[in-house]
Amino acid sequence: MALRFARDGSAGLSLVARHGDQLNAVHNELRKLAPQIDIVVIEADVSKPRDIERIVATTLAQFKGHLDVLVNNASTIGPSPMPNLLDYPVEDFRQVLDTNLIGPFLLIKNALPAMTERGGSIINVTSDAGQIGYPGWGAYGISKFGLEGMSQTWASELEESGVRINWVDPGSMNTAMHRAAEPEEDPSEWANPAGVTDVFVFLASDESKGVTGKRFQAQEDWKATLSK
Amino acid sequence: MAAPFTFTLPPELSAKEPPERRGIRRDQVRLLVIERATGKIEHTRFDKIDNYLRQNDLLVFNSSRTLPASMRGCDCSAAHGPCMEVRLAEHLPDDSWLALLLCEQGDPFGCGLRAGMQIEFAEGLNAAVLARDLNIPRLWKLRFSITGTELVDLIYRLGKPIRYEYVSAPWDLDYYQTVYAKEPGSAEMPSAGRAFTWKLLFDLKRRGIDSAYIVLHTGLSSYMDDELDRAHPASEEEYFVSRITAEKINSARENGGRVIAVGTTVVRALESVADSDGRVSEKQGYTRLKINRQHRLRVVNGLLTGLHEPEAGHLDLLSAFLPAEQIHAAYEEAIARKYLWHEFGDLNLIL
Repeated sequence: MALRFARDGSAGLSLVARHGDQLNAVHNELRKLAPQIDIVVIEADVSKPRDIERIVATTLAQFKGHLDVLVNNASTIGPSPMPNLLDYPVEDFRQVLDTNLIGPFLLIKNALPAMTERGGSIINVTSDAGQIGYPGWGAYGISKFGLEGMSQTWASELEESGVRINWVDPGSMNTAMHRAAEPEEDPSEWANPAGVTDVFVFLASDESKGVTGKRFQAQEDWKATLSK
Repeated sequence: MAAPFTFTLPPELSAKEPPERRGIRRDQVRLLVIERATGKIEHTRFDKIDNYLRQNDLLVFNSSRTLPASMRGCDCSAAHGPCMEVRLAEHLPDDSWLALLLCEQGDPFGCGLRAGMQIEFAEGLNAAVLARDLNIPRLWKLRFSITGTELVDLIYRLGKPIRYEYVSAPWDLDYYQTVYAKEPGSAEMPSAGRAFTWKLLFDLKRRGIDSAYIVLHTGLSSYMDDELDRAHPASEEEYFVSRITAEKINSARENGGRVIAVGTTVVRALESVADSDGRVSEKQGYTRLKINRQHRLRVVNGLLTGLHEPEAGHLDLLSAFLPAEQIHAAYEEAIARKYLWHEFGDLNLIL
């Protein structure tokens, strides 16, 4: 997604992940692809409130208080293989909610001031497990149900603020997290993450001004959602 | 300069915890309202502030975010060098910092603080102590081994909010932020706006009372030195007034609205950029403007602020809005009615 945003003309990017080596690899690719972009790389864990303060402060220090887009796509699946709820250790349950639900809540809360003056776009990444209670998808699915509910609430509370908030189900994707969740499945049938970025670019751009409170499915006819 | 009046602040009137930890919401602190034209005093609650505002009024906020500006480091230029609390005060244009150094053991200034000392923090961060500040001699000029955004990242990893002795617990940094805080840089919270919630801001906007933002990174309110604190030397502060804010201010004035500064930092920034007719333009710069009873306010009509200590600086600024005896009378009422002082305390609206 970062590469796609860079290709599509972002002026600046703030990249956040837990592992510095992966961040640096993306950073190096971005440097080659779009050397003019202002990039800040932050090694942090969104399940930790203190890290969230640092993410937002460091980003806003780099971009002089400006922020146009926030994509909440950090997510954890929890223990793998995924236990049924009856067998779910409470600490793991909490960890999943901290990353997938509390993290986005705090990021939005902290980043919002930088968006209210000029408008902005928040995009939360959800899942079909946030609409259907699949057996075995325990805390992950529950966190995504929560994320979708929270997104609706934010959207209605922010109606007059100039900040739009939408959420996107990217569909089955060939990511390390998905492979860990379903090791018995064939990942070649899943989409490459780079192939589902159109809707994110649309929601980040001025073309989506006025579009708020909607759920998009990246691998379906997502433009049809606009007329619903 | 001497304070325009003096009073005794009973220690129990220091707010020891954030309102949310005293069982009320952040917007339920008390509000002391003083009418400039008549000197009339009213006592209310902050969430009723809209009763005193009207369409076309403009609230101007300082959106500087509070840094976790207190860091622990040790002198590594000597064997078994002393450890100290480093309170960041100001980021200077040459990328150095002014900081207050407080020794951990014994006399806070008595552990051999000197130019040339190297302070070692955690995570590989170091700072060279360059010299004492000429203007405020309790401050030292430091140069960190890391600069820019990387340093901001490390300050947030290592630091905690500056905490004064009257605060009952080491509250998280989140308690030291206004809801609208953006760019990091303040040593201490610009606390006059702490009581605002987003709901109140949206409600006010719906009623035609708009908001605008400036940035002025605040320095330290105390140098832990009574004599120096009493003198309250004016420091030079960097401010930023955006084009959007300048336009909103000029438009509010043209439409008969009042410009209401949320915090003394906003008064200082706006009065620094206003021309003699009170028009404001986009500007970034440094100010040493001293506002006192002789200052004729050019653009700011009203002020929301905390209750200030019986020392010169801020009370002096208030006397640009009201005669000192009126402020004094209002403060005596506030004491009698047990208003709370300091960053988590009650507020004062002067209109």
